Amino acid sequence: MAESPARTAFAEEALTHLDTLYRGALRLTRDPDQAQDLVQEAYLRALRYQHSYQQGTNMKAWLFAIMRNLFWDRFRGSRKEDVSLDDVGEFVLYDKLKDEGARPEADVLDKLAASEVVKAVEKLPPLHREVVLLVDVEGFSYKDAAQTLGVPIGTVMSRLHRARQQLQRSLYDYAVESGIVRANGGQQVQQ
Amino acid sequence: MNCKDCSEKLDRFVDRELNSTEVLELQLHLESCPDCQDHYEFEAHLKRLVKHSCECDTPPAFRDKLRQLLT
Repeated sequence: MAESPARTAFAEEALTHLDTLYRGALRLTRDPDQAQDLVQEAYLRALRYQHSYQQGTNMKAWLFAIMRNLFWDRFRGSRKEDVSLDDVGEFVLYDKLKDEGARPEADVLDKLAASEVVKAVEKLPPLHREVVLLVDVEGFSYKDAAQTLGVPIGTVMSRLHRARQQLQRSLYDYAVESGIVRANGGQQVQQ
Repeated sequence: MNCKDCSEKLDRFVDRELNSTEVLELQLHLESCPDCQDHYEFEAHLKRLVKHSCECDTPPAFRDKLRQLLT
């Protein structure tokens, strides 16, 4: 079926944000096949509701919102209940490394494998993971992230704060397990 | 600004969410405090690490399939 020029132009513009959607879907579902299904469904829905997109507004945020809403509906059930990170406790990786004499602290970051960082992100509860994806990976402002997720800016900030604490704790645990740092005051292991 | 205030605002500084007055205050503090400057560089480095680690390309076959489906 021949598509209208307007629909084709809209689809082309929407496809310029495909990498953002695919990355987000992959990190949310943690499965390439499910990610592709999710993204395809999101694009089909976006075209169906093209009229609800306001020209000149943030199309990337609009598309991401469609994709993550589908994720919650299709893959997680419609209830946005999530594992709480309230009891994660304060954990600042920089302070931890400094206390343990692993200097310079940034060297530890250089030794962390990218695959382990991805694992740490994917271990976050989805409601917290999606904030990290928007703010840290896609560079969204707090305001755009709040709009995308349909929550107040304060919620974005608190989820981001807790997510980063948990993420840093996971990276620290990995650094200890893999011998990049020694817990409890040991020196950094040269690799 | 003291080190505690700086530490509390560091996330928002790294995320470019402070207003211009707060940015100036924080930058002045960082210039005079090597510890906080070190901490700032660590947090900025960590943010870049998360971004680069999570980046991935859309599989070309999927991109082509989607384009065909939508246009």
